[in-house]
Formats: sequence, C-alpha cells, structure tokens
Amino acid sequence: MRISIFLFVLLLPALALAVSVDGWMNVQTGGDSLSPQMGRLDLGGLLKGGNWSLVVHQRFSHEDSTGIVPRILNSYSRTDIDFLIEAGPVSINPDVCWTVDIGDKKPEIVLPGEAGIAYRDGFIRPGLGIEADVSEEIHLFARGLYWNRDLKQEDDYDLAWTETRLIGGVTWDSPWGTSLTVAGLNHKTSSDFIDYEATWSRMDVRVAVQPQSLPVNMFVSGDVTYSAYDGSDFLDHDIADRLTSRVRLMQMVIPSVSVNATFESVIDFDDGITRSACTSAESRIVYRFMRSRDITSAIVVFGKLSRSSIRTERAGVFSRINLYRGLSFLFDAEAHVTPTSVTGAGPDRKRYVFGPGFEYQFGNTARIWGIIEQERTNLEKNQNWWRFRAGLEFYPGYFNI
Amino acid sequence: MTRFVKALAVIAAVFILFIACKGPVESTQLLVNTDNCTGCGECMEVCPYNAIEIIEGDAVIDPSLCHFCYRCVEECPEGAIY
Repeated sequence: MRISIFLFVLLLPALALAVSVDGWMNVQTGGDSLSPQMGRLDLGGLLKGGNWSLVVHQRFSHEDSTGIVPRILNSYSRTDIDFLIEAGPVSINPDVCWTVDIGDKKPEIVLPGEAGIAYRDGFIRPGLGIEADVSEEIHLFARGLYWNRDLKQEDDYDLAWTETRLIGGVTWDSPWGTSLTVAGLNHKTSSDFIDYEATWSRMDVRVAVQPQSLPVNMFVSGDVTYSAYDGSDFLDHDIADRLTSRVRLMQMVIPSVSVNATFESVIDFDDGITRSACTSAESRIVYRFMRSRDITSAIVVFGKLSRSSIRTERAGVFSRINLYRGLSFLFDAEAHVTPTSVTGAGPDRKRYVFGPGFEYQFGNTARIWGIIEQERTNLEKNQNWWRFRAGLEFYPGYFNI
Repeated sequence: MTRFVKALAVIAAVFILFIACKGPVESTQLLVNTDNCTGCGECMEVCPYNAIEIIEGDAVIDPSLCHFCYRCVEECPEGAIY
C-alpha cells in the first residue's frame, strides 16, 4: 500500500502535465466453407505525457488453433498494457500482458517428456525493461519477463507452468554507419507438477552495417550475428551455435519503380560439424502509378525461396487500382509451398489463392475493404474453396487534453 | 551505377538459382524472419508445444520446446518462418 502511494506521488507531477490521447480500432473477419466465422478485433489506445506514455492494446480473436483439417476454432482475449517512463538518459518500461482462452474447447498442448496432454487456459506475463544511453554511442538494455501459464490436465490439475526470460546487453553505434551489439539471454521453463525443468541460454554478437555513401535512391544494409547456445532441444541434443547473415538492398530504379531484395544465409556449428542450415532470397518489385491522386495505385510483384530442413516457396502479385476518390479495386494472386501436418496431404502443401476485392478509404480516418478469394490446395486430395475476407480500420486521430 | 546494379542482379540470380537447386539440409532450429513477421500470433495459436511467444511484436521460438511439427510454417500468413 505504501509503495502504491509512493509511486502515485512520484508519478503525479508527470500525469498532471498536458496529455495527448490517441486511439485506433481494427476489425477483420474472414471465413470459408470450412470455418465461416473466423475474425479478429483489435482496439488500442495511447496516453502520452511529457516524459511518459501508456499504451493499451486489446485483442479478441476467433481463429484456428490447430493448423490442421478439420479445424478446431478457439476464441481468446489478449490484453497488453505497456507503460514507459523516461528520466533523462534512462527509460523504464514495465508492462503486463495476459491472455484468456474463452472457447468451449480449450487448445491442447503436448507436454514435454511424454507427460501427456494439457489444456491451455491463458497466461499472465509481467515484464520490466530498463534502457540507458551511457553516451551518444553506447546504449545499455536489460529486460526481464515472467510467464505464469494456466495449463491444466484432464483432471483439472494445474501444471504450475512458469517461464522466466532475462535479456541484457550493450550496443555501440559507431560513427561509420556500423553498430556492434553484445547481448545475453537466459530462459528457464519449469512445471512442478510434471517435474519438468529446462534452461537454455544464448550469447549474441551482432555487427550491423548501413553504408552512408551510396548512389542516390539506393539503400543497403547488412548484419551478421553469431549466437552461441548453451542448452538442449526436445531430443536432449545440444542446440547448435548459429551464424546468421542477412543483406537487404533497395533501389528506386525510376521514381515509379522500386526493387527490394533480401538474401539470408545461416550456418550451424553443431558439435564440431559446420553445415549450411538455411539459405533464403526474397525480392519485391513495386510499381506505383496515378501518383497525382490522393490514393496512389500500385502493383507489387514478390517472390521468396528458402531452403532449410524444409523448403518454402512463395510468389504472387498484389494490386490496388484507384477508381474514384477513395474507392479502389484490389486483386491478389499468390502461390505458396510449405510443409504440412495435414494427414495424407504429403510432405509439401501447395496453395494457390487469387481473387478480386474493393476498398474505400475515408481520408486518413478509416478504411473499409472486402476481398473474395478462391483457394486451391492439395490437402487429402485437391480441393477448391471460396472465402471472403473483410476489414475495417478506424483511426480517429489524436487530441490533447 | 549501372554496372553496380547489373553486378547485383547477376549475384542475385546466381544466389536464387543456388537456393532453388539445393535440397533440404539439416537444421536444428526454425528461423523467424523478423523483417517479415507482423506479430499476428497465428503461429502461437497453432503451436501444440507452447513453444512460440510474441515478444515485442515478433514471434520467438523456444528451441528447447520446438518439436519441428511445422504447423507455424504452414500457418504463417507472411511466410516469415522457415
């Protein structure tokens, strides 16, 4: 109680100053013949004072909880409350997040160590982050997170499942467009009821480069991270150390055409064996036209390939063509290949999705859209189905009190 | 400038060809591309091992709990997990 009064008195001068209020809402619904009633509602609000801010984000979701067919839908609510106080070079960021699974049938969780099945009811996760700018170039950060998960077995015994994650590190931003980050992470999972405890830790050294002197309209950035792990996976094998490198390129070829490309390579160091663990490439070409109108029309063509222990491939086109004032015509077509866990569908699942839609934008305040798509996919056999997706985004703007 | 763009295009084409021809390799962890992840949480919802959490707007996979069932890969609307 005394601590609460002390904190209130401490915060009062900050709260008494001018406050700006911001809010937003996003509703999405989408359904097909398999599950016509899926949807999501996001509500958000921001209170901002001179040296503090409070963000509240509330989500209600009704979505697939298994990723397999037949689907099992689950409803859940997720609340995030994020508070930030800045005091000179130091910022303190306490936050809390909790979820509640509100469906009739709780999602099943397969427990480690062959301990059977449990049912998920939600979690609460308080956290505390502290950051400090020691100088213009050196930045310290630390964060602690604690999960208390509500997992119950069939006979309603609570598993007392908790997780703790501690993160800390330092970043040095050099004056030559490079930065060096050294960070450590420790994660502990335990459940007293099934006598499970696992701890793993990671040490990261990351170098990021962003060249300053490049041709006009060109952007290049790259980063290399070496992650040394200490811990074991679900088969009790040591987690391999990993070297991840990524390069991003962006070039505006002419004012209406820009090209993005990302290349990624991952190497694992596993018990004296060095092997390529993942390579991927991604490219995106954006063509903008009718740029004199309030809403610019655009055609985006994209493609992506990745090879790791699985293969994923993705290619498609998305277009928005402005017709009149805020009204635009939408069209998307996409093909992707992923592995699948659908029984009998084979190791890879190929999906082809395409369809037209319309969108209306009310200035910067609201956007309403709907799109009808056909999906062709090879589940147990080749199947086609139609689906409808729609959304409303509402942003009333901010005001000062 | 033009030479630079041409050189980049050639490097990109070779790299993509190399990836396309390459078969699956051994890997001990799934990778989340944080450039593409939107933090929508669909991967977290379908993970049957409680191995995924959204932290600061990105999906984070716990390497000690992940069982490589690939449901998150199949579900991710952005193709950000591989």
